[in-house]
Amino acid sequence: MKQLVSGNEAIFQGAIRAGANYFAGYPISPTSEILQQASLYAEENPQFRFLQAEDEIAAAIATIAASLAGTKAFTATSGPGFSLMQEALGWGHAVEAPCVFINSMRVGPSTGMPTQPAQADLLQVKGGSAGDYYPIAFYPNSVEECFRLTVTAFNAAEESLSPVILLGDAFLSHLYEIVDLEGIGVEVVPRSKEPLGKGQRLFTGTAHDKMGNIKTNDPEIYRAWLSELKDRHHRVAEKYPLFEYLPRQGSSVLLIAFGITSRILSSLKERFSIFRPIRIFPLLEQELKEVTQAYHDIIVVEGSDGQYAGWVEGATGRKVLRVPCLGGGFKLQWIQHQIEERLKGDAG
Amino acid sequence: MTNRSYKDLLKMRRFPHTWCPGCGIGAVLKNVAIVLKELGWSNQNTVAVSGIGCSGRMSGYMNLDAIHTPHGRALTAAEAIKTVRSDLNVIVLSGDGDLASIGGNHLLHTSRRNPDITVFCNDNEIYGLTGGQAGPTTPKGTKTLTSPRGEPYLPLRLGRILTQQAPYFYARTTVYHLNHFKTCIHEALLWKGFSFVDIISDCIELNGRRLGFKTAHQMFKWFDERFHIVEGERDHLREDELGIAKAMIEEVPQPTEKVKVEPKGPIEELKTFTLEELQRFDGTGEKPIYVAYKGKVYDLSTSPLFQGEKRMRCHLAGKDLTKDIDIAPHGEDLVFKFPVVGRLE
Repeated sequence: MKQLVSGNEAIFQGAIRAGANYFAGYPISPTSEILQQASLYAEENPQFRFLQAEDEIAAAIATIAASLAGTKAFTATSGPGFSLMQEALGWGHAVEAPCVFINSMRVGPSTGMPTQPAQADLLQVKGGSAGDYYPIAFYPNSVEECFRLTVTAFNAAEESLSPVILLGDAFLSHLYEIVDLEGIGVEVVPRSKEPLGKGQRLFTGTAHDKMGNIKTNDPEIYRAWLSELKDRHHRVAEKYPLFEYLPRQGSSVLLIAFGITSRILSSLKERFSIFRPIRIFPLLEQELKEVTQAYHDIIVVEGSDGQYAGWVEGATGRKVLRVPCLGGGFKLQWIQHQIEERLKGDAG
Repeated sequence: MTNRSYKDLLKMRRFPHTWCPGCGIGAVLKNVAIVLKELGWSNQNTVAVSGIGCSGRMSGYMNLDAIHTPHGRALTAAEAIKTVRSDLNVIVLSGDGDLASIGGNHLLHTSRRNPDITVFCNDNEIYGLTGGQAGPTTPKGTKTLTSPRGEPYLPLRLGRILTQQAPYFYARTTVYHLNHFKTCIHEALLWKGFSFVDIISDCIELNGRRLGFKTAHQMFKWFDERFHIVEGERDHLREDELGIAKAMIEEVPQPTEKVKVEPKGPIEELKTFTLEELQRFDGTGEKPIYVAYKGKVYDLSTSPLFQGEKRMRCHLAGKDLTKDIDIAPHGEDLVFKFPVVGRLE
């Protein structure tokens, strides 16, 4: 049945379709609606458990612990809450707990501009926790994609045995579109990890060998563990090389944008080629390299001061022009003007 | 002959353990294992959760599925596991720094939500693993690496915090009072709801020696001097008492129905009070408590808010409260359900 559905609702319904049975969260705009829906859903479905935690630290830890206990679990927050969840994310990678973290971005740093949209949490998604780890992150740009990619995030989590991040922004969370969620067909990867309560395993964030014995002074064991983790995450990521490429005949300019920015830019598709990465991490290095080859100018339009642009430069080895949409300002006219300015500057 | 079957619950292949000779944690681990064995709990129905610290290593030595969380998060993880898997017994083995300092917020809220988990807190009054810094339960005046002139603050009173929840189970014992210790473990494990065993323990190497103790045994004797066991049902423990304080439910006063009590006759026939006269009825001695609101005088003597000692401290009594009540969040019902006894001039 076709219905008017918000991004937040689609994310929640996607999680249910993926088989999630645990949600822990803490109120924060713009994802409080997910928390509210989870509480309501738990009332009507006793197999679904819900915790409104005392803070995002607890929400994130509870999500990972619920996953270890044997259920598909998820949490939702925004930038400031996501900062508090970093500790748990690092732990989730260390204990290899499949689960999903939703981060709908708003303007930061700190409390920032509640609740203006932004896309400036990429750095903390990539590596906000201590040490080396290899997060997988997806970023939809429509309500239907919110649903589909939530399921994809759960699938990738089960396959990579790690917390997978679904990015969003304040626009997308509160974007209403007409979709038929029930009619969307998706594949669901079943639960992959043995539940707790029969073994003698130790799930620890301290370095350990395969038996779960703590080993804090053996580089060989640590390197073997980390390289296995890295391989697994990249193998899983390769299954989901998600992007959208709209080439425009004759255009020498490639615009790169994702999330809500790509939606706004789509009205420029008659003038410029547009590349939209959907899998944000691991970076679509190969795809970026190939696609950018045909263009004289590469412009990244994003809601941060060049976070993604920096990675595109790194991946392609080319100069990338930047249009940072800061402070929640995503006006098409303004962006168009900025693009013209950059191109003029580049030609001169 | 000693029954050694409790060793089934320990990963003996990982011994010798990581703790210093004389440390109290070994006694905590062993006695928890003994009582778990007596109760028939095993890796088929029990999960152990720890935080970080010397005591946080305990779960790794249990022959169970065990979770070693980031610093301070053991309670949250334990609660989530119990929520998802109510068929499992969930125990938490951790320390005072982990549970009461960095995990302090979780201690408040997990105990408030009252999941059926049991917490064993190795309370050695110091951060041992990091070398001996002052912790949340370090007694005032104790010299540590971070309080070289003596800890300036009073310790956190875990017993007082936890016995404020409803319901609650808080036991205090020491690694020296062995039989009492075992009784506490046993009762805590069988308690339905959140139970907390505060085990006063020794850290001889990184706390005791600095305080002048030469052996762990000397510290045990010090525990014996500081604490004494109290028997029987208690609802709270004094700071020098070892025992079990518990309450299944605490009476929470229910909001009374909103009843409007109208004066018996027309208001004009009632006694009139001047502000000066009103002031005399302030609840001191046997006098009633009168307050005025919008020209009427109400008798609040039967209000549960002003009984016992509070009656003497009633700052509202004998005053015209029209302005106060109009801006207060509780609104007018505070006075409307009490009898009108007069009017204000």
